[in-house]
This record gives sequence, C-alpha cells and structure tokens, in this order.
Amino acid sequence: MNPHLHTWLSRAWRRIVFRWRRAQLDHELAEELEFHLALKQQAAGELSHIQMGNMTIAAEECRDMWSFLRLERLLQDLRYAARMFRRTPGFTAIAVLSLAVGIGGNAAMFTLVNTLLVRPLPYRAPDRLIRITGIFPRAAVPFIQQQTRTMDVAAVSPGSEYNLTGEGEAIRIVGSAISVNAFAVLGAAVARGRGFEPGEGSPGRDGVVILSNSLWRTKFGGDPSVIGRVIALNGMHREIVGIMPPTFSYPSAQVQAWVPMRFDPSNFLEYWAGEFVPLVARLRAGTTVAEAQREIQPLIDEFRKTFPYPMARDWNRDSSAIPLQRDLTGDIRGKLIILLCSVGLVLLIACANVASLLLSRATTRRKEIALRVALGARRLRIVRQLLTESVLLALVGGGLGILFGMGALSIFKSLLPSSTPGLAQASIDWPIAAAVAGLALVTGLVFGIAPALSASQIDLAQSIRTGSQRSSGAFWTRLRGGLIGAEVALTVVLVVSAGLLIKSLYTLSDVHPGFQPKQILSVRVSPNASFCIQRPACVALYDRLLEGARGVSGVAEAAIANTVPLDAEQPDLPVDVEGHPKSVDHPAPMLWSGAVSPGYIHMLRIPLLAGRDLTTADGAKSAAVLLVSASTAKHFWPGGNPIGKHIKSAGEQQWRTVVGVVGDVRQYSLSKGMPDWIPGAIYMPYAQAVREDGQIPAAMTLLVKARANTDGPAREIRTLAQDQDPNVPVGQVQPLEEVVAGSIANFRATIRVFISFAAAAILLAAIGIYGLVSYWVTQRTYEIGLRVAIGATRNRIVSMILAQGLRVALYGIVAGVIVSLAVTRFLASMLYGVGATDPLTFAAVTALVLGVAIAATALPAWRASRIDPIKLLRVD
Amino acid sequence: MGKPEAPEILPGTLDLLILRALAAGQMHGYGIAQRLRQVSEDVLQVGESSLYPALQRLLLNGWVKAAWGASENNRRARYYTLTAAGRKQLASERAEFARVVGAIEKVLNMA
Repeated sequence: MNPHLHTWLSRAWRRIVFRWRRAQLDHELAEELEFHLALKQQAAGELSHIQMGNMTIAAEECRDMWSFLRLERLLQDLRYAARMFRRTPGFTAIAVLSLAVGIGGNAAMFTLVNTLLVRPLPYRAPDRLIRITGIFPRAAVPFIQQQTRTMDVAAVSPGSEYNLTGEGEAIRIVGSAISVNAFAVLGAAVARGRGFEPGEGSPGRDGVVILSNSLWRTKFGGDPSVIGRVIALNGMHREIVGIMPPTFSYPSAQVQAWVPMRFDPSNFLEYWAGEFVPLVARLRAGTTVAEAQREIQPLIDEFRKTFPYPMARDWNRDSSAIPLQRDLTGDIRGKLIILLCSVGLVLLIACANVASLLLSRATTRRKEIALRVALGARRLRIVRQLLTESVLLALVGGGLGILFGMGALSIFKSLLPSSTPGLAQASIDWPIAAAVAGLALVTGLVFGIAPALSASQIDLAQSIRTGSQRSSGAFWTRLRGGLIGAEVALTVVLVVSAGLLIKSLYTLSDVHPGFQPKQILSVRVSPNASFCIQRPACVALYDRLLEGARGVSGVAEAAIANTVPLDAEQPDLPVDVEGHPKSVDHPAPMLWSGAVSPGYIHMLRIPLLAGRDLTTADGAKSAAVLLVSASTAKHFWPGGNPIGKHIKSAGEQQWRTVVGVVGDVRQYSLSKGMPDWIPGAIYMPYAQAVREDGQIPAAMTLLVKARANTDGPAREIRTLAQDQDPNVPVGQVQPLEEVVAGSIANFRATIRVFISFAAAAILLAAIGIYGLVSYWVTQRTYEIGLRVAIGATRNRIVSMILAQGLRVALYGIVAGVIVSLAVTRFLASMLYGVGATDPLTFAAVTALVLGVAIAATALPAWRASRIDPIKLLRVD
Repeated sequence: MGKPEAPEILPGTLDLLILRALAAGQMHGYGIAQRLRQVSEDVLQVGESSLYPALQRLLLNGWVKAAWGASENNRRARYYTLTAAGRKQLASERAEFARVVGAIEKVLNMA
C-alpha cells in the first residue's frame, strides 16, 4: 500500500510541476519528435501521411499525460454547460426553479418528519418509554406502582395555569404537576439544582418547584442564584429547587414549571376525583411493550373495584400501552404525512417536468451533437457532457432548494401546535442537507440518462445531411407524452385536495357560531383560587370590575364569563339531571358549564328560545337557577318543556331550576360545536356558579361591547382590571372576532400551504404541456408546412395541434380523477361540510386543469398555424 | 485512433521493455525504438505514438530521468536514464513478467 501511495503522490506532484512548465514541455516534445522524425527519414526515405499522423497523435497523448485529464474535461464540460444555460435563460430558470421548489419543500418536510416522528426523544433509552392511554385518578398511581411487575409508572398532568406573583407584574404561567419520580422515569435530569425527592409528594412537603429553561431566562434573567428562592404560585409558597435543560419539553413545550403532584388519601376529592391524570411509564429491564399491554387491563379491573364510588364498567376499557413518541405525535402524525405526500408529489411533478424539458432540448440539439460526433467526439464523451449538464442543473436547483427549504420550514412549523415537544428545535441540519444534495444528484442523473441516451442514438449522416428533425425515436416522444400525462394526473390530485380544503374553509367561515362577536373586546382576569374561597370576595371583585367597565367611555355593555366561545377553555362539569338517575352504566353526564353575569346572553346576541334570561335578581342569596342550551334541552327532554326542570352539579345537594332555553353556541370549535362527550351547555349566574370542586370559578373573562367599531376602550379596560388588585394577572385585550378567527388559524395556514402546492403543481404542469406541444410543433414543422402547402387551413392546423395536446391532458385528468377518488378519503379528518369525493369540486378542478391545458397548448398551436410553407419547403 | 503497428506488444510490457533497454545505459527515444527492433530481430516495432507517451508515463512515475545532450550527428537530443526507483521497478516487473509467462507456459504445455 505504502509504496503505491508514494508513487501516486510523486506522480501527482510531478503533474503539478509539469502543469507549470507546460509551454516549455510542449516545446521540448516538439523538438524531440522532430529529431526522431529526422532520424527516421534518414533511415527510410520519404514518410507516408499515416506516419506523419502518428507524430501528431504521439504529441497529443503526451500532452494528455501531463494534465489532470479528467478534472480538465470536467471543467470543460461545466464551462460548456454554463454557456448552454446562459444561452437559454428561460429553460434554465424554469428547470432550476421547479427543482428548487420541489427539493426545498421536501427538505423542509423531511426535517420536520425527522425531528418529530423519527428522531428519538431526548431522554435516556427513549424506546423503553410508554404511555398508558386513558386518564386516571391520583389514587391509581400508587396502586399501579405497587401491583405492576413490568414497568415503573409516573403521573404527569398535562399542565394548567398558575399565577406567579411576588416577582414584579403578576403573570400567568403553565405548570404541570408530576409525581416525584417522573423525571427519573423519563430519564431526564435537571440542568441546575436538584430534582424532586421522594416524600415531596405528601402535603406540607410539596412547597417546591422546578422551572423550565425559558421561564428561568425570561422571568429570572437566567440568574443561577434563583435556586433556593421562594416564589408564590397560585398563592402557595414554593422554593425553586431546580431548572430543566432547554431540550426538555414534556408534557408539552408550553409547560414552564413543574410542581410535585400531591398524593393525599385523606383529601377524598383530590385523590379520587378532581382532575384525572395521564400516566407514563418506563419498561423494566427484560420486559416488552406486549407484556405491559397484557398487564394493563387486569390492573385496571382490580383498581376499578377499589373506587369508593360506583365506576362505569367500561371505564378505561380501551386503555393500553403505546410508545411515548407515538403518543406525543399522535395528533400531528396524520397531518405531517399528508403534507409529506403532497410535497413529494410536487417533487415528482418537478422531476417529470425537468426530464421532459431536457428530453426536448436534447432533440433540438441533435444537429449539434451529430456534428460533434462527426468531428470525432466519442459517444461516451457526449453522454458525459449531457449528464454533466443535468447534474449541474440539479445541484444548482438543490442549493437554491435548501434556501427555499429554510423558508418553508418556518412556514410548516407555524402550522403545527407550538406546544409540540421538539418543534422549536427543528432546523435544517446537515444530514438533511446531505440527503437533499443526494436527492438533487440522483434526480439529475435520472433526468440526464434518458435524454443522453436519446441524444447519443443519432444517425449521423441523416441528421447532418438534411438538418431536419423528422426522424426521431418514437419511443422518446411517447415517453415524453407519458411523463406529461403523469404530471397532469398528479396535479389533478393536488388541486382536488386543495379544492376540497378550500371548500371546507369556505363552509367553515360561513358557519354561524351561534353568537355575534362584532365590536366585543375580551380580557382574561385570573385571581388565585384561594382568593375566591370566600365567595363574596370574588363576587364583589367582579361586581366592581363590571361597574368600572360600564363607566368607561365608549363602552355600551359589559359582562363577565368563565370562558368565551372558541377560546380553547373547556369548563366541563359532571351533573345530575332530574329524571335521569345515574348508574354504573350511565355515569354522570358532562355539560359545558358557563358562569356568566346577567347581560352576557344578550351581549353575545345568543337567542333566548324559551323562558327568561338571567337577571341581576338572580344573586347569591336568591333561588338557584340556570339556563340550558337547545341541545341540552333536546338531549334530556326531547319534545318536553325543560322550563322548571332541575339540574345540579354532581357534587352538590341542592337542585337548580331551569328558567330559560337559549340557542346553541359553537363553544369548542367552529367545525364541532361541542366535544363528542358533551351533549350541551348550561349557564349559571356568576354569583351562584360552582366548579366541580364546589368553588366559585376564579379566573374570568371580562367582555365589553364598544359603541363604535374601534379599539378605543382597550387600554382603559386593561388598566381598570389591573387597578383592582396588583396580585391578579391580567391578560391581553383581544377582540372576540380575533378569538373566533384564531380558532381556525391553523386550518387556514394548512390550506394556504396546500394552495401553494397546488399552484406550483398547476404552473409546472402548464409549462410541461407547453414544452411538449412546442416540441411537437418544431418536430413536425416540415409536415405542417406540407399540409398548408396542399391546402390545409390555419384553423385545421390549430385544431390538429390542440387535439394532440389535449389528448395527453385528458389522459392525465382521467387518471388524476381516478387516483383522487382513491386517495382523498385520507383527507377526511381535515374536511368540513364537504365529502371527500365532492362531485362539484372534482368538476371544477377538471375544468380548471383542462382550461390551463388549453391555454398552454394554444400558443404553440397558433405558432404552428403561422408556419410559412414556401420558406420551409425551399430550405429543405 | 491510429492503426496499431503490427505486431502488437502485450499491453503493459512496453514499459518493461523500455526500462530494460535503458538499463544498458542512457539512450534517446529513436535509439530505444531501434534497439528494441534490433534485439527482437524486427519482431517488436514500437511506433512513436506509443513510445513517447510511454516515456512520459515513466518520467511522471519517476522511473527515468531525461536530459538534453548532443547526439551522434551532433544535434540536440533528449537522453533518458534509469533512476534508482526505475531500477527497482524493472526488477519487480521482470520477476512478475517471468511469473506470468511461466504460468502461461505451464497452461500451454499441459497434457
């Protein structure tokens, strides 16, 4: 090996030296050969031409020996390719841009898929982590921990809002209560300080908190000495004991602090009811997911028997163990895969387009290539030249594509919920860049091969003699037709998908939400729950606030409510309904429970269908009353009169009387008025309202209706709220219309991406069809000229070319419609108010694509009709 | 793509032959061709289109050196000499050639 390397190195070195002294070497060689010739002549007399020619070949091969031949040929090819591209800027721009769009989109999507679906979670041995599906009361945690033989179980609540006070302006943060072993189970360690210790889950010892890196930086300026400092969360004093690293984002990227989950069997409500929590677990060494899955149902059966109140027989019947990563990406998995597929389609279309462009260019360059072959260029050399061109094209496209990809990635990221763990870390990384470069190269080679083969199969004499392009491989022509047809088909699939989504968005924006958000401003006011233990304190606070708000100039009406529609809060309440006794099989139904001030129903223009609205007379001391929504009334008393019937929260003794029926409001989402498990809504007067734990709701939204359509009172309203109590966090003022629009912002953004995919596809397809038909026309110039000469009218020529172009487009459209019928059902989860095979959308898309095809064919057809037969026939 | 001069020299052996010819002392290109022809009794006729590229290759590999000197007829001629590395190369190529020829012999003579 070594001597070889040595020889190789010294040879390379000498080559470099030779390169420097090239002129001298040339000169010396000439002299040497001349000397040789002279001696030869002396010996043999006159020399033949062949012998003279040998000298030239000798000189040439010697020169080759001195240079880095391959490199120089490559450079030569590259220079030539660059010159070709400069000469045809339109072709080059189209090819490079279509590749850049295709490759850029793919780079971005691959990055996202890699980051979110493929790359393992940043915890120790992430493949051993599982999620036990379903939610459980706290009591289940110690029970399962003691009984299981396959896993180490922890509870991690999804996160709720906490007031952080005593550190400047009071703010609202998201915190997650976790069992003290949760970090150990997840295999994540604190960056500073310590994790929770055993025992910190019991009351009295749980005054500790661990901060997220982002909260530590934004609120505490990244000061390491905060460890040991005591802060107030929801009025409870907690010592900061640790800070998590920035990569840790479980259960979601929005969680800013973790507190120990309290396990206190003496607190019946919290321990057995209250908020049910999700469970995560780490498989013990030597056990498999399947073993854990087999264990879960028997454990749940055992646990159900220990409930101190009757639990439904089918409670958590479908609970199982799934890999944690699958659980985390569950909601966005489908969306990502759909986007990945469609961006893949765009790349396919771009590739087909560029291949077809290169194919047609190879044909127009037949004469040039034939000339080069005649001058002695070897076939291999020409194929290599053509391949160099297409690889160069692909590389430039790929480079530009990476730039596009960075832009696209930030757009795609905005489409996914920002709470997705790991999303913030997603950035185009080197493996992805390498994959894209590889993709570009492979695409280039693939495009290159077909045209290169077609171009090198040239009948020399034929091409040069006539210069016409009459004789060309029918196979390649048909291949081009096939490519364009396939491209049209893929375009139809993308445009149909976009069409269905646009129609969904249109239907959705047209949905009447059941209330009138115009001119209403909202601001969230959230005192600590402890502040509201004394109900009158809280009632008084909001009375003061309402009174103040009504006094602000420009305010016509004011009201408070525990949630406003579509603000992502879910105030569900288990209730008892008169005449509907619950049993093991029929547990307490859940209702959407509004706690509102009188005037709220009127302010939102929610129609009163029967009975009366809430009034100021429905105070804390008067008879308990409530309103029901139309669907609640229909669900419990179909056909009957709900007025005078009774409903109460599952936890309380006294019944509340239904005094009115109001219209349904789309509280949960515009597409689904309510979650599946909630049949309807009730509205309680605020002074009488209860939550599941019997407390009065503390955090409320103040709503004001402005007289004119201005933001006028916004600042005054916020100041007013802040002035009530410095310890009460006040959110930003938001117009209700923005809340409504915000609830479908993700959907709107997804659709925008689909539209851009579809637009790119249709543009590419138009270019493809145009290129194909122009190529036909060029190829058949002679034939067309002949037809005109023997009497074909211009119209006939145009319709002949049109028919030919449209045939390819029609094949493509038919294929596309068939494929679409098969695949659009995968979009079903994203559609609203439109079927996956909506005939109207399909018809409109077919018409659109057909129209584009006609437009793209018309120009070359018109050009064909201008062919002057005299000129043409004379030349040939 | 000139016609190869008959008879064709086994590929790869030209370098060996040139090295062997130069082992006797320095020589110019024409001299090498003449010497090979004479010694082989006109069987090996090396054309210049293979001779000079081969010499360039040997130069590049560092197996021969070239220097200008005066020829028999008093003209400037380029003389090639074997280098130490060239000598070593000659020895190893000779041994390899002998091995291959021996092997071919054995095959041809098999019963």
